[in-house]
Amino acid sequence: MSLLLMAPALLLLLAVFLWPMLDYAWLSLQAQTVFTGLKPVPVGLANWERLLGDGRFWQDAAQTLRFAVVSVGLELLLGLAIALLLHQSWRGRGLVRSLSLLPWALPTTVMALGWRWILNDPNGPINGVMQSLGLPSLPFLASTQLAWLAVVLADTWKTTPFVALLLLAGLQMIPTDLYEAFALEGGRPWQGLRRITLPLLRPYVLIALIFRLAQALGVFDLVAVLTGGGPASSTETLALYAYLNAMRFLDFGYSATVMLGMFVLLLASALLLVLAQQRWRGARP
Amino acid sequence: MSSSPLRQRPALLRISMVALLMLWSLAPMLWQLYTSLRTPESLLAGLAGLGGGWTLANYSAVLQADPPFGVYLLNSTVVGALSTLLTLALAIPCAYALSRRSDLLKLVIGGGLLAAAVFPYVLLFLALLQVARQLGLANNLLALCLPYAGLSLPLAVLLLQAAFADLPVELEENALLEGFSLGQRLRWILLPLIGPAVVSTGLLVFLFSWNEFPIALTWLSRSELLTLAPAMARIAGSSVFTVPHGAFAAATVLGGVPLLALLLIFQRQIVAGLTQGAIKG
Repeated sequence: MSLLLMAPALLLLLAVFLWPMLDYAWLSLQAQTVFTGLKPVPVGLANWERLLGDGRFWQDAAQTLRFAVVSVGLELLLGLAIALLLHQSWRGRGLVRSLSLLPWALPTTVMALGWRWILNDPNGPINGVMQSLGLPSLPFLASTQLAWLAVVLADTWKTTPFVALLLLAGLQMIPTDLYEAFALEGGRPWQGLRRITLPLLRPYVLIALIFRLAQALGVFDLVAVLTGGGPASSTETLALYAYLNAMRFLDFGYSATVMLGMFVLLLASALLLVLAQQRWRGARP
Repeated sequence: MSSSPLRQRPALLRISMVALLMLWSLAPMLWQLYTSLRTPESLLAGLAGLGGGWTLANYSAVLQADPPFGVYLLNSTVVGALSTLLTLALAIPCAYALSRRSDLLKLVIGGGLLAAAVFPYVLLFLALLQVARQLGLANNLLALCLPYAGLSLPLAVLLLQAAFADLPVELEENALLEGFSLGQRLRWILLPLIGPAVVSTGLLVFLFSWNEFPIALTWLSRSELLTLAPAMARIAGSSVFTVPHGAFAAATVLGGVPLLALLLIFQRQIVAGLTQGAIKG
């Protein structure tokens, strides 16, 4: 009976999550391109050999990692600051909390199009202010040095509210008498932050970190609309590269290989995170 | 005398922090709203163009484009609503059964659900597209509900399972003694009690389905079937509008407002779902 109730959901889950991975494992051993008439032809490990020597794959992997680490790091810092601000009691806090959550609810493609105009060179508002201050306008989306920072900026803007919300929920779980006892013993407020808040907030930071890191490593929507991976592939991520291989180069076997390669890198970073977390725990007295 | 500036300083600091937070959160959206109401000439004049030059032409251009913008909003709403219903229909029985087990299978399924919930699903799009082509589901708006429900199930089952697990067992035992069947117990006793969790879960699934991009992008190609996310990408890549910034901005306002309104109306439920998802998950 119990199994019968679970069966429909579990079957759909297996079809959506497990089947694709098995399909990729098979497809990565095939050549399926325009040259094979879009029919699969077994080629052994050729796709995997190509992946190992594919500079663009490794460049995209580095760019994806750089984006994920920098933007998630920023989101955690900003999110913590916002959560601390919203955790204090002051008039109008409820309204500010509602309004500050709005960016999170915007569809990514909508907000990416919005940021394209805000960062426009020379007519966007940021460059408008730069010019009125007598500074040169910055080609945010046309420069290989600036474009990835523009992606970080837009991502941070959209997802910081989510991180702040999680950390705020964590702050609300900390009993206030801990701080009172700490103050009675002569502790200063900012020491309380380091001694009480941060240690007790750690599980929430970890949840936010894992969830955001996984999402950021798979970033696709934002890059596809904001920069299209350009200029000169400088903002291309692994997910976008896999998409281009399938939908633009019509190289399905290699696209599947890129996805699996990305999956392996994800597993490796998850493993690293677990190890780092154990060390962090071990280092504490 | 000396205490008042000391007391005012934290308040002043907080006010400036709050002002910064509001500027950071709202200014980009307000700029889109402003842009959407401006004529092309005033936009190209930079800051010198502030002042005159207001217009509604951008909105009429977007709303009367082919297909009109309202079609995308309608498509997203239909897909979002149906995906939510399908997800709940599948997740509720599964979550109930899971919450009543305490064996190895529960641990395995729970672990699998957790892993699936954080998995970047964009990786799945190519295989799902091939399935869609084989089954003839491409360019079928309603068929999108299948992958959307599948992708939403991990979070939905975890959230609902936690809500079922919080209910006292005696409640159901009493109903069992009264001769209630499983369907009756769910319908009349358990579901009303976990109503808030069902609403939170449903809202999160709706938000996801409304916003989903990579699968909608690859499954749909006919423009009158597009949901909002791929439509925005297509608008962004097109040059139908001569000086497009005003029209683009009008599209972002029209595309953003429905969800902003939804968030403001159901804020409590959405926030509860998000934080529960993180804590219980």
